[in-house]
Amino acid sequence: MADVIDNTIDMEEDTLKGRFLTFSLGSESYGIEVRYVTEIIGMQAITEIPELPEYVKGIINLRGKIIPVMDVRLRFKKEPKEYNDRTCVIVVDINDISIGLIVDTVSEVITIPEEDIVEPPQMNKGFNNRYIKNIGKVGNDVKLLLDCEKLLTADEIETLSEVI
Amino acid sequence: MSDQFLSGHMLDMFVFETTQLLEQLEACILDAEKDGFYSGNAINEIFRIMHTIKGSSAMMRYDGISSLAHSIEDLFYLLREGSSCDVEYSELSDLVLAGVDFIKAQIESIKSGGAAVGDASKLIADNRAFLARLKGSEPGNREPAKQETDTAEPGPDHAGQEQDLARQDDPSGSKYINSFRAVIRFQEDCEMENLRAFSVIHNLEEVAGGIRHVPEDLMSPDASEVIRRDGFTISFRTDCSYVDIHQLLMQTVFLKELELEQTDESEAAQEAGITKPSAGERTADPGEDRAADYGMQSISRDHTSHQNIISVPVAKLDKLMDLMGEFVIAEAMVIQNPDLDGLELNNFQKAAQRLNKITKEIQDMVMSIRMVPLAATFQKMKRVVRDMCKKLGKEADLVIIGEETEVDKNIIEHISDPLVHLVRNALDHGIESTQERLAAGKDKKGTITLEAKSAGGDVLIIVRDDGRGLDREKILQKAREKGMLYRPESEMTDREVFNLILLPSFSTRDDVTEFSGRGVGMDVVVKNIEAIGGSVILDSTPNAGTTVTLKIPLTLAIIDGMNIKVGKAIFTLPTISIKESFRPQAGEAFTDPEGNEMIMVRGNCYPILRMHQYYNISTDITDFTEGIMIMVEHDEKTLCIFADELLGQQQIVVKSLPEYIRQFRKVKGLAGCTLLGDGNISLILDIGGLIYGKDSK
Amino acid sequence: MKRVLIVDDAAFMRASIRTILERNGFEVVGEAENGAIGVKKYQELHPDIVTMDITMPEMTGLEALKQIRSFDPDAKVIMITAMGQEHLVKEAILSGAKSFIVKPFKEDHVIQTLKKI
Repeated sequence: MADVIDNTIDMEEDTLKGRFLTFSLGSESYGIEVRYVTEIIGMQAITEIPELPEYVKGIINLRGKIIPVMDVRLRFKKEPKEYNDRTCVIVVDINDISIGLIVDTVSEVITIPEEDIVEPPQMNKGFNNRYIKNIGKVGNDVKLLLDCEKLLTADEIETLSEVI
Repeated sequence: MSDQFLSGHMLDMFVFETTQLLEQLEACILDAEKDGFYSGNAINEIFRIMHTIKGSSAMMRYDGISSLAHSIEDLFYLLREGSSCDVEYSELSDLVLAGVDFIKAQIESIKSGGAAVGDASKLIADNRAFLARLKGSEPGNREPAKQETDTAEPGPDHAGQEQDLARQDDPSGSKYINSFRAVIRFQEDCEMENLRAFSVIHNLEEVAGGIRHVPEDLMSPDASEVIRRDGFTISFRTDCSYVDIHQLLMQTVFLKELELEQTDESEAAQEAGITKPSAGERTADPGEDRAADYGMQSISRDHTSHQNIISVPVAKLDKLMDLMGEFVIAEAMVIQNPDLDGLELNNFQKAAQRLNKITKEIQDMVMSIRMVPLAATFQKMKRVVRDMCKKLGKEADLVIIGEETEVDKNIIEHISDPLVHLVRNALDHGIESTQERLAAGKDKKGTITLEAKSAGGDVLIIVRDDGRGLDREKILQKAREKGMLYRPESEMTDREVFNLILLPSFSTRDDVTEFSGRGVGMDVVVKNIEAIGGSVILDSTPNAGTTVTLKIPLTLAIIDGMNIKVGKAIFTLPTISIKESFRPQAGEAFTDPEGNEMIMVRGNCYPILRMHQYYNISTDITDFTEGIMIMVEHDEKTLCIFADELLGQQQIVVKSLPEYIRQFRKVKGLAGCTLLGDGNISLILDIGGLIYGKDSK
Repeated sequence: MKRVLIVDDAAFMRASIRTILERNGFEVVGEAENGAIGVKKYQELHPDIVTMDITMPEMTGLEALKQIRSFDPDAKVIMITAMGQEHLVKEAILSGAKSFIVKPFKEDHVIQTLKKI
């Protein structure tokens, strides 16, 4: 079923089909569907907003438009890392919500053929794959392909698991 | 043809204008009803409005609206004649208001892209029945009712025109040399053929005499029909040549066919079969020379002053407002540019000041464009009061004060529903029945006062009744049942108790009129008002009445703000809520046993809110004597905010926080954010949120 | 190009007439929302043709027609009327109105009328 839906999207977004922007967090390499990405900018001055989850760093001024930024490292419960001149903000537009994703560094845009994309393993203990939709094989490397929508909305599940 | 109108701006215009006219009409009726009769001006105005609506809606092919408007127009046409003395005004008002409601509903449907499909036939029938009764009661009992209902002209014949026609029978035609006979046919759908014919005759009179025509009486009801069927036949004498006459007649508008032949006179008269009109046969119309009346009466229509006004889509104003906001930010970015720091730039400063002044002026102008008086919104309440009184069998007057007060267009849209709700509540729960009022020694008629006034950057809208007031005990009892009391009852002031009913949990549907006072849906009112940054205050005195005050910001988008610094963060406070700022002396602040910090200022004690603590910001300045204390006020509550330093005042454009941020409900005390001159973002503090947030902490 | 002044108290009607006229090569030089303003604008603008609604506040179309004709006997004024106003139309014709248009009007009728006079 998921494949059917994916296919229809791919057909609509023909030119962007199978194209991913890859970035890295530490040693891992991730991919995000290009159709979500609106631009990539360097690190900006962030205005912190009190009382938000740690991973929501605050808001930035993107040419007069105010958008929130999320530290993807923290979102994935990884160790925080100081921002440097390689730190990037990937601005994505997901269901009409603009948000900046802070990542260690942006690599490149690649095409991953459909046959090289597989489903992630089901809930191995200790492997937090809630935000990973698929896994793409590129040569000997593995790209973790993000589920953008879950990135924004998976909070309820999170709170639940925290309680347990 | 109507297709060209059905879309786009013609439709908008139709909707806009018709809505305005309906409001005008409604106000007119309600005034008249209050006075107990319809003045000549009122009747004229209603007639004219209905006439306009009839025309416009017919153009748009909204036939239901058009025929309904027509039937009301007919009623007022008759009333204009002034011959009907015993009119049941209250019934007339009901009829017209029912019509207004129908048209309003149709307009709403049209507005939301639907069709005007409502069935007006019942209303039209009612109007006609009323019209028939009016005529029946009239002295002199007018004759046929038939054309009254399909034209607005009840008695088409009057003495004046007999004379006009008689003039054409002037035998002086004999001095002319040529005789002609012409038959004119008009295009099928040209309408008012009789007058088109009349126009032809009128033009001919300049060059011809002895004019006779068939049909003879052009103003008779069936003249047009005859012309449509048989054509319009004229015979006349003139000095002009055949060619001249032909040319003249060919100029007739909507001419379909012209037969023209030269005759000799006697023949012409015979062929045309014209007999002299027998003037004695007709009864003179008592309401004669309506035309003159018509002109006179419509001239004096007092209360609409005509300025040159254009209407602009609100979307454009919104865009203009946005741009103005960007402009203010851009200006700040230039004038407060960090690159300028430490430079002595006299000329730049002068130019900057000038720019600043002009910017401020433009901004005031942009704001003023968006400002709309509350009058229309207030006037609508008259109708609410009228309808509710009828329904509840109570008596109440609505007193309106300060309806000229202006607020932002967007705000108007948000307060209309809450106001209706409050006025209804006041009548339903506040104002007592007549017996009850008399027993309490009050005037038997209740009074509801609707007042608007400006107070600083806010507008206060006050709904006051002189009813029975709120019952403290009953409210407390209810609150106890619902477990809403968080403080000992004896410590709560009346005002605090009354304001309990504003809480969402207070009222439920099933106890609508259980307690005296109000409550149902008050939380909805509060929500609506808070959505536009306003607040609701309630006050009441037993047996003397209840007052609900809506405090509403004048405008939403651009405010004067004071920037303050806390650690690295910058916050903005609305200047309007700042009472003063000062640097405390050592020892002025103290801590109560529960650890709450307070400060004594001129003998009064105020709570302190440390920004760095509240928002968990790291800063070096934690000693009161090193930072700054800003005293702010909201809803008559005062709080001292402690920050590192004041950065200065500037105009700020309020932007809402991104939706993604707002979904984390924990963000308290923030009203939005704004862009600073250097491109950084500052968070705008919501004083109300801070004060109440501190309370609950 | 014929220059037209539109006098009508209903903005909707003014816009309707304007739309029709402009589409058919007339130039609308002005609009007025009552007779008094209509008279004033006539003096300022000297239009070739005036379309004049009959029922208007302040000053009716009839009165405006009479005033205009009093200082310009050649003025070409076309009345805009509705069924039921026959007697007013008649008075208008007697007062010098060149023709009249019946509401609700059709584009073709408006144009025919204006072209004929």
